[in-house]
Amino acid sequence: MSKTSQVSVQKSVQKRRVWTGARAVAEAVKLADVDVIAAYPIRPYTGIMNSLATMIAGGDFYAEYLVCDSEHSQFEVVKHASAVGARTFVGSSGTGLIYGTEAVITTALGQLPVVGVVGCRSLDDPGNFGMEWNDAFLFRDVGWLMNWSKDPQEALEMTLVAYRIAEDERVLLPHFVALDGATITHVASPVIPPKKELVDRFLPPYKQPHPLDPSYDTVSKAMHIAPSLIGPEQRKSLDAAIKRAKNVVIPEAWKAWSDITGKDVDPYFESMKMEDADYALVSMGAYSRNVDYIVEKLRETGVKVGSLRLKYFRPFPTEELKNILKDVKGVGVIDFSFSLGSPGNGSVLSNEVKTALYDAENRPILMDFIFAGGREMTLTELENSTKQLIESVKNGRVDKPVRWVTVRGDDE
Amino acid sequence: MSRETKLIRKPTEIPSEDYYVSGHRTCAGCGPALGYRLVLKAAGAKTVVLGPTGCMYVANGHQFLSSPYAVPWYHTQLGAGGPAGIGTAAALRSLMFKGKRKKEDVNVIVYGGDGGFADIGLSGLSMGLTYDYSRLLYLLYDNESYANTGVQASSTTPFGSSTTFTPSGKVKPIGNERLKKDMALIAAAHPSIGYVATACVSYPVDLVNKVRKALNSGRPSLVQLLTPCPKGWAFPPEETVEIGRTAVNTGMWVLWEYENGHFHLTTKPNPRKKIREYVTKQGRFAHLWENEAALEYLQLSVDSQWKYWDEMDETGKIILPWTPSFNQ
Repeated sequence: MSKTSQVSVQKSVQKRRVWTGARAVAEAVKLADVDVIAAYPIRPYTGIMNSLATMIAGGDFYAEYLVCDSEHSQFEVVKHASAVGARTFVGSSGTGLIYGTEAVITTALGQLPVVGVVGCRSLDDPGNFGMEWNDAFLFRDVGWLMNWSKDPQEALEMTLVAYRIAEDERVLLPHFVALDGATITHVASPVIPPKKELVDRFLPPYKQPHPLDPSYDTVSKAMHIAPSLIGPEQRKSLDAAIKRAKNVVIPEAWKAWSDITGKDVDPYFESMKMEDADYALVSMGAYSRNVDYIVEKLRETGVKVGSLRLKYFRPFPTEELKNILKDVKGVGVIDFSFSLGSPGNGSVLSNEVKTALYDAENRPILMDFIFAGGREMTLTELENSTKQLIESVKNGRVDKPVRWVTVRGDDE
Repeated sequence: MSRETKLIRKPTEIPSEDYYVSGHRTCAGCGPALGYRLVLKAAGAKTVVLGPTGCMYVANGHQFLSSPYAVPWYHTQLGAGGPAGIGTAAALRSLMFKGKRKKEDVNVIVYGGDGGFADIGLSGLSMGLTYDYSRLLYLLYDNESYANTGVQASSTTPFGSSTTFTPSGKVKPIGNERLKKDMALIAAAHPSIGYVATACVSYPVDLVNKVRKALNSGRPSLVQLLTPCPKGWAFPPEETVEIGRTAVNTGMWVLWEYENGHFHLTTKPNPRKKIREYVTKQGRFAHLWENEAALEYLQLSVDSQWKYWDEMDETGKIILPWTPSFNQ
């Protein structure tokens, strides 16, 4: 980095804060000058809405803040506000998100660039507040973009960048930013927020191409039309949009963010010691830092293991993943989800990774380490899992490719 | 922004401009379509319309990529009428406040059915009625059933009506045994509501005035509009207006308004015609035509409710019209 750009970086950043993920996202929403916010309480995402309510009540910024009667109403409010031309923010967790399902899905079909947060939470043996990804994963097929943050700093940045990607006229799709419940939403860590003028340069105003507004024109949106006429084309237009996001807009946006912040951010991955790795641990979200720790520890003993953190789950960076993993012999997926009765009885992320590697030239051995159910992962469990992967590669076969690591009793 | 409400006295004063035009495929004699046309005439060009799923969504498009709406229109989910209105109004206010859009009056009308507002979307509607967005009107077109899906009972289906979910049979001869839920009174229970009224497509001058009062009330409002449905109620399509008149003249449907805390009847049928006259015009009640006990009860329920309506009109205050059940 040149000296002048270092100076500009110094000028562009504010002093360091200590914020929870919830607070950090709220700051991003304020920086993005969001117009309409819809809230309904469910832990653990609620803290974001609490923070925003305090900011708006105190006059920090202006937005219409709607206290809704349900998640269904929440997602409908922002869907319709977005159709008029307002920048919107919404969020939920666990079963709350599922309650909003109908509205969540039609937001994507309406190509409305709503940005929402999922504070990932288990589904929902009553009172299970544990972290699990299945709530967000239920929306993996319907046209929402989804990225996973690893800490409050990244949650803030991903939220800001999400607006730019979602609102890009080549995309116009809604965008979830996932924050692992509790571990990111509720844990405070250092955050250096970008300055407002920097955000204003990065994030152009939202311009809805066909706003639902009599001052624009007579728009009839989402008419009831025979599926034989437009059904396949409706889906196809989302498919084309998410592919444009994947190949063009997401890399562009993160390049622009890198340029403006002086950071060098890869859009799809954060990797550690992957250059010469024989074994790769693939993870997402907050616990990737545990993975990094184990990788460093095992590297000290001479094991060529690397950590690969996936930042986007939708669109899934298939070619990029294949390329990064082309020389590894074993892949262990660290997964906080389940997909009961799925192929191999694996979990959601591991099934996706497996699909991505199906036509790879050198298919690595793949193991699925499931940490679902909300029980906290221990470093010992993670280290043992890694050793099982290494042993499987050495033996040239996997006896048990799917392991419920945190389960007590038999893992049948 | 203007608060002067332009009221009319006779049908010839209804604006000739239409914002609900050709391009739909509603049934012949469709009451809700007639309502749509009148409501949008009353509201005018500066209007956004939102349409929850129902007849007025499904029958207003389909097949030919046509649209009957000459104002901006967006579908919303069956249970989403309330939040759709709020989201639209909130966006307009926010954009105007921040100078991102010109400041002016824009009407937001959610034209939703009884299923959408009285059943699945009641919670969201109630949320919407607690806010302070001006020019937001929830127009409940009440055809007393889920007519679009093949005439199933909703919670505004009247007692004794036969629907595909409440058919008359040997063990259950009555058909629908539940009493019609009074959505307009429920709306009036929201203390900050701008305006509440009931209306009927057979009374177009009254309807136009009520829509205008609602839009000008400065707060979210609700108008419950009785829209006879030839398909669901089983009567010849040329009788839609006549059936609506009979509903009012027999007292089955009560026209009232509630404005600034004051209730009054806007039409007082005197004397009220017998319920039998209303019931015998519609196939949905055909199984009751020989059922004297049921008809007696229906007359009794209307008569006992009218004691309350008359008292409300005299006092100007809302009293909940308690009604004995059929089995009592």
